[in-house]
Amino acid sequence: MRRSILTAIVLVTGLVVLLDLMVVNPSLDAAAGAVNELLVLLAAAAAVGGGATLVAHHARSLAAGDGDSIGSIALLLGMAAILVAGLRPGSSGTADPAVLWLVAALLAPIAASVFALLFIFLLGAFRRGFALRVRETTLMAGAATVVIILLLPVGGQAGDWLAASAGWVRDVPLAGVFRGLLIGIGILVAVSAARSLLAMDGDDE
Amino acid sequence: MTNSAEPAVLDTERVARLRRAAPALLLLLLLALASLLSNGTGGLQLASPDRSRVDQLRRAIGELPNDALVLIAFDADLGTYPEIRAATRVAIDDLAAHDARLAIVSFTPDGRAIAAAERDRIARGAGEPPADLGFVAGAEAGLVRSIASVVPESAQGPTADAIRDAGGGIGAFAMVLVVSGSDISARSWVEQVGSRLPELPLVAIAPTFLDPELEPYLRSGQLTALLATLRDGVAYVEAAAGSAGSNPGPTPGPLPMLVGMLAAIAVLAEAALRRFARRRGRRPKGRAPA
Repeated sequence: MRRSILTAIVLVTGLVVLLDLMVVNPSLDAAAGAVNELLVLLAAAAAVGGGATLVAHHARSLAAGDGDSIGSIALLLGMAAILVAGLRPGSSGTADPAVLWLVAALLAPIAASVFALLFIFLLGAFRRGFALRVRETTLMAGAATVVIILLLPVGGQAGDWLAASAGWVRDVPLAGVFRGLLIGIGILVAVSAARSLLAMDGDDE
Repeated sequence: MTNSAEPAVLDTERVARLRRAAPALLLLLLLALASLLSNGTGGLQLASPDRSRVDQLRRAIGELPNDALVLIAFDADLGTYPEIRAATRVAIDDLAAHDARLAIVSFTPDGRAIAAAERDRIARGAGEPPADLGFVAGAEAGLVRSIASVVPESAQGPTADAIRDAGGGIGAFAMVLVVSGSDISARSWVEQVGSRLPELPLVAIAPTFLDPELEPYLRSGQLTALLATLRDGVAYVEAAAGSAGSNPGPTPGPLPMLVGMLAAIAVLAEAALRRFARRRGRRPKGRAPA
């Protein structure tokens, strides 16, 4: 019974959204808009729920004294600082100077620094990769080396040639592979959506 | 009774740890030195010599009618934004220099935080910041909802009124500049908005990791213009910053990039050679290598 209700909901909402994309009709548009509003509410609720679960998990870890207590304290203090800055009485939310300072002076540099460390860690991973899977790592490292050489910031005739070759790699093999992936993903999504709409799953086969 | 060998063991461990960290520290030192010596690096050029991408974006901005409404969809990541920061700032200034009426909206929390900081920076520089349409929750569902209505009730001012007069949704705009990140990128815009508003020109600035994903959309014409590599971004900054009267802030120099890239090649080559030498050493004598 529960399964058929769920299937009916999926079928109706899917068809409404699909038809709204193809047919211009104010009633259909309003119905699809309402479905979309529900989805937005669901996403917002999931985000708030996720945040609350994170706080509860780290508070519990702190209380129990297990796990990384310094990390838990840093996370809870960080969340509290942003929430207080953005939600205190008189605050202008995300445009509040305190929030802007926290983002520009702390959050952005920290995130950019962590991201920049990928360069070092990626090279370290390649070194370890050679010890584990020589053939695959050699292939990856070879491809990476070719791309790096093509992207070397050299000027003059050599730079033009390198840039043209990099453009070819990007436009032909790389774009071809990704175009194939996108088409494949599109077909798979369409098939699985159609299976959901037609209430077909593994048990029916 | 204390063990006299303990300090010696500790020292040996410390030295071993330092020795392991030495290559990374040396690389960081080299990069720092290279960034200090960035000026006067003749023969090096970070800007892409192929200006077709730059021309596409400049043409799209140049063809806008006067007082055109342009939406900046600001959904950059905190981690990758430094890569596209200069190009984004110059593009915003370029649009303003072409008398576009700008509005800014975000569909991700990261994007909203950076957008608020950029609006604040423009206001501090005595420029007029884009009209603030705030944060729309719901990720792609919010994006779809914005096609019908993107102006919050709290938004005030002539640009917000002009958007309301033109229908209040994304269709009110003459162009959308998508500042992409990993959660909501130009791909989401092409799929969710482009399919519903096929006449709306979408131009995008994206970090390099998104380039392979977005390239097919540029090829198919679903994106009007795309800057998705650092070199294209630097070329755009060089081409447009002067005429747009823009100060894009710090931009990467070619020397630190070159040092980093050569170091990466050296590390890969060293690791590969060491591995193959070890394999050769293990092979029994008298057997020919495969």
